[in-house]
Amino acid sequence: MLEIRDIKTSYGKIAALKGVSLDIRDGGLTCLLGPNGAGKTTLIWTIAGILKAQSGSIKMGGDELAGLKAHQIVEKGVVTVPENRLVFPEMTVTDNLIAGAFSRRKEKGGVSEDLEAVLERFPRLRERATQEAGTLSGGEQQMLAVGRALMARPKILLMDEPSTGLAPIIVEEIFEIIGQLRDEGRTIFLVEQNANLALDYADHFYLLEQGQVTFGGDPGEVDHDELIARAYLGARKAS
Amino acid sequence: MIDVVQNTLDGLAIGSAYGLLALGFTLIFGVMRRLNMAFGSSILVGIFAGAWLHGQWAAGMIPIFAATLAGAVLAAAYVERLSFAWIRGDAALASMASSFALWMQLEDGIARAFPQRSYAFPSFDILPLLELGPLLLRPEFIAMFLTAAVLVVALHLMLTRTVFGLQVRTLSESREAARVSGVNVGRVAFLTFCIAAAIGGVAGFLIAATDGQISTKLGLWITMKGLIAMVISGLGSLRGALIGGLVLGLVEAQAQWYLGASGREITVFALLFVALILLPQGLAGRADAAARNEALRRL
Repeated sequence: MLEIRDIKTSYGKIAALKGVSLDIRDGGLTCLLGPNGAGKTTLIWTIAGILKAQSGSIKMGGDELAGLKAHQIVEKGVVTVPENRLVFPEMTVTDNLIAGAFSRRKEKGGVSEDLEAVLERFPRLRERATQEAGTLSGGEQQMLAVGRALMARPKILLMDEPSTGLAPIIVEEIFEIIGQLRDEGRTIFLVEQNANLALDYADHFYLLEQGQVTFGGDPGEVDHDELIARAYLGARKAS
Repeated sequence: MIDVVQNTLDGLAIGSAYGLLALGFTLIFGVMRRLNMAFGSSILVGIFAGAWLHGQWAAGMIPIFAATLAGAVLAAAYVERLSFAWIRGDAALASMASSFALWMQLEDGIARAFPQRSYAFPSFDILPLLELGPLLLRPEFIAMFLTAAVLVVALHLMLTRTVFGLQVRTLSESREAARVSGVNVGRVAFLTFCIAAAIGGVAGFLIAATDGQISTKLGLWITMKGLIAMVISGLGSLRGALIGGLVLGLVEAQAQWYLGASGREITVFALLFVALILLPQGLAGRADAAARNEALRRL
């Protein structure tokens, strides 16, 4: 569904992505693992159009996404759940969710139905619908960020480290939600440091190390311990 | 006693114009998180466009008003492209310095095109002077106050009830989150800039029409009034900006009456000083503290 080919992104002179190629398959959970500083978040921001790639292509169907602006990429249906949630703290939960539907200019109708569906999915958000988002707990803010992304009717969900800064029990809860979304047949690209948990849910995975994809496969095919060591520590230290 | 009441009425009227100027500054600051130093000079361009139309064809109030607005919005659009859109969002100082340069450029351009010391601007003579017992109400002051009230209500409704307003709010809260939510950040920022300039243009028109004449010094004057009112209000809240403007107008009117023109200027700066020391978060309180800290962090 999303074909990423030889993407190079840098911050000034420092190359963060040195030619990344991978496929995000239709209707499944593709997971990107890797140690800190490998370029995982850079890849998400590059796909989302917030960072500009120096070269390479990102194709969805026949459409080229590389070079489009962030809002155009959301309009194409590629929607990001950013790291650290990034909700709008002084707006109500409801307004945060409505903000997720900005991209739907062509199909204006159905926003209130979708809002209802998101509140149905996350009853905790319904309880807090009129509260300012900044007053929610970390887990609730993560649900809100997922809900906001769903409001855009995404074809592909990009999720950046949904477990960051959350208590283990909340992380389990968030992953159950991700599992549900996958079981509904949605296409998800998950970037995660918590390799152990991510591999339980992934249909397919890639390992990103120092700005390059070094490994890819299905979770069943590989030795999890070896992979997890590399995902956390990087290749050199694990070998 | 009558003097105090009369000063209060006059102060509230001019203060509502200051409030509109501060509102323009605040709207831009809220969305861009950067200060636009060329705001006053954009309004100056608008006012001189109106004065030119007046001098050339003795046009009526409505075309002159339209020319003032158009001039201010066009000049602001020019500033937005050069000093904000083409400069990276995290380079707050670069935008400030660049907009300062455009302030000088616009003001100098106007001064060259209009070399006389002052130019006539049409004043409101349609409306009669109102007398309420011993009090005098100048019609242009009533117009100022009512216009400010209507604009503030309209702006509030736009920000809270429309999709565009929601987009403006998302942008002022988190630029990154707005972008991942599909907000066309560049477009919304540009339109906000134009709306702020239009509001400033209305204030400039009212101020010029009240004085009946204008000079190129007005740009600096507008910048000073708007910035002082915004700083008193604590940066970042629209309600605060309006209150800041009203307080500034009130203090000025009383000081002018009791201390004279030079005493007025000293009082205003004393007010600014006291406000910064006693109310570092501004008149509008807690919610704006975050925006202010954010601003300080970026500077």
